[in-house]
Amino acid sequence: MRLHWLAYSFVLGLTVLSFYGLISFGNESLDTSLLQDSYFYSILGFTLKQALISAVLSVGLAIPIARALYFLPHLPYKKLFLAFCLLCFVTPTLIVITGLVALLGRSGFLTPWLNTLSDNHWNIYGMSGILIAHVFMNMPLAVRIIYLELQSIPETSWKLASQLKLNKADCFRIVEWPTLRNTSILLLCFIFVLCFNSFAVVLALGGGPQSTTLEVAIYQALKYDFNIPEALTLAWTQLIVAGGLYWLISRFGSLSWKNVDSSRNVWRPKKGTISIQASKVMYGLAWIILLLPFVSLIPGLLDSKLSRPDIQAISRAAAVSIGLAIIAATLAMSIAYALLHPIRQAAMGAKLKRLWLLESVATHTLISPAMVLSVGLYIFLLPRIDIEQWGIVFVILLNTALVIPFAVKKLKPRLLQFDQQYNRLARSLKLNRRTLWRIEWPFIKEIYLATFGLVLVLALGDVAIFSIFGTTEWTTLPWLIYGYASSYRIAEASAASFILLILCALFLFLLEKLVHKKLALRPLMNQKLTDEKQHKEGDTHA
Amino acid sequence: MLNIQDLLLELDGWPLRYDLQVQAGEIVAIQGISGVGKTTLLNLIAGYLTPDSGTIAWNQHVLNDLSVEQRPVSMLFQDHNLFEHISVLENLCLGFKTTASIQVPIQSIKNAAAYLGVDEHLNKKPATLSGGQRQRIALIRTLLRPEAIVLLDEPFAELDPVTREKAALWTRDQAKTAGKTVLLVTHQEEDVARVADRKVILT
Repeated sequence: MRLHWLAYSFVLGLTVLSFYGLISFGNESLDTSLLQDSYFYSILGFTLKQALISAVLSVGLAIPIARALYFLPHLPYKKLFLAFCLLCFVTPTLIVITGLVALLGRSGFLTPWLNTLSDNHWNIYGMSGILIAHVFMNMPLAVRIIYLELQSIPETSWKLASQLKLNKADCFRIVEWPTLRNTSILLLCFIFVLCFNSFAVVLALGGGPQSTTLEVAIYQALKYDFNIPEALTLAWTQLIVAGGLYWLISRFGSLSWKNVDSSRNVWRPKKGTISIQASKVMYGLAWIILLLPFVSLIPGLLDSKLSRPDIQAISRAAAVSIGLAIIAATLAMSIAYALLHPIRQAAMGAKLKRLWLLESVATHTLISPAMVLSVGLYIFLLPRIDIEQWGIVFVILLNTALVIPFAVKKLKPRLLQFDQQYNRLARSLKLNRRTLWRIEWPFIKEIYLATFGLVLVLALGDVAIFSIFGTTEWTTLPWLIYGYASSYRIAEASAASFILLILCALFLFLLEKLVHKKLALRPLMNQKLTDEKQHKEGDTHA
Repeated sequence: MLNIQDLLLELDGWPLRYDLQVQAGEIVAIQGISGVGKTTLLNLIAGYLTPDSGTIAWNQHVLNDLSVEQRPVSMLFQDHNLFEHISVLENLCLGFKTTASIQVPIQSIKNAAAYLGVDEHLNKKPATLSGGQRQRIALIRTLLRPEAIVLLDEPFAELDPVTREKAALWTRDQAKTAGKTVLLVTHQEEDVARVADRKVILT
């Protein structure tokens, strides 16, 4: 069997086994009576409501910030801001939660002020906390993507608009909106799906049955009640709603995951003084809002007098997390590359249906709830293997499966670009696999390593899978933070969160830095030119 | 001999028919108005397009069922002939099957580069070069590759008159020395006169 079909078997196999595990357990069937229960509709309603509001707020707030970045190309630390946006999106949820609790929780820094404003009714637990966390994590992603879309507006459009003396409203309607419209709708759907499947945020900030989502309800049905029929009904509901939306997204286009190039110098119309000041204020506010939850970890970190066992526990958990994440990310990148092989073939042959089908299969774990996959597989494996012993392997495998869609989505455009530009040439030159890889690697290296950093950080933040398969022997850093936070040891949670944050930032930016060193290409020819000057000249254009 | 017999391809609803015999070692210029199917003919021979009927044979071996990689063809496209992210020299060294005993003809490459005035750019990336320089580099590799059939799609289009003449004469010299069979698509009569043994006008 070819490697790429093995990769498809892996991603599909995990899902099939998970659902088989759920369906076959004690011949349990769906609990259709649940569909008549108001409890079901209150959970479904809350899940939809929080996802919709989170998505609308994230995109709605992102548009003016992205416009400010676009129209003021010389804003200070803009590149850093865009990198920070990426960090906010991929930061493990528990860091954000710990930061938000330190900031807005019962004894948070801003809580007295919020209590004054709300007549002592402020409470982070419930809808407000869930929305704040979701917006904090997803709005920065929307900023990056919308900014990127704005950058794709041709300079000539702006020149023509200014030549025609279009007013601001017409400029927005005719030049910007056609670009923003599709991206905004896709972003709305994408963020909706992410928030719909959100687990850790709702578990930690939900605050009770009034604020429960399907994913948390599945977890509770299985972990506490062991009610398989209920869990199955909830899981199918989640899959159908999230799957339907994902189908819509993939039918109407896909989000661009390209890297941000903030240095492009395109002519843009000059804004008025008030508009410039407003944009600058918005940019400053965005910095403050995004930094606050992270900064609020620092006092806890400074106050924390970590005991020796705590330091040991945090160090060990950090080492375990890094190890697991590196293995999962390496596997995910290899499998994503293999999954993309038939997708590339289909794209080159213009077989659109096949392309869509293959891509849907390759990325379907984006909509399969992590909880459903974990629990299903857990039930399937329970009578077959010693999970206490082998659970950690499945933590890795499931994390791999869940980050594969991100790897596929990021690698695909670059590989398709390579094929579009060079497939004919490569075939004409009759390059063998090895030579072709040596040509392809420098072309995709930058995206590949940046994506590796992204999926590594995503895997580093897992809570859902570990909550099912994890054991105390292999406690990860996010799970340790969850343990500290649930026993109200906020200082320890802050310290551990800070370390996790540093690790994420290091992995994310270290790999990007490494890429920008522009390592010299391995020479393809047997004979090298020895002229050093020429070598230097060649390297500068990598 | 390259024998193209009763070749038919329907492209966007238009039938394109070809019948052509080219002797081994012969250089034939292909001419005709835009859209008549000159590039399509080269793509059929190279294997990028599959004919609806008819045969393409080289020395009595039918090529129709062979993949691009299996055909004895070296082709110069109108554009995208170079990998932009690797150096010119690395680009020039591609397309040669090397073994322990067979090496890339690096000296021939350098000589050709010097003759055509691009030897100063061997360690640069293609993106830094002009269209004419890129075209000469791609031409060198296409001609030097050890393939019997050479297909050139407007190889001199971006060259100035002086370089054009030089490149055209070098092309003919190389092809004749190595005994290659060349099909050359060009709109210019002077290219036909300098390079080709005869011309075929597609209608």
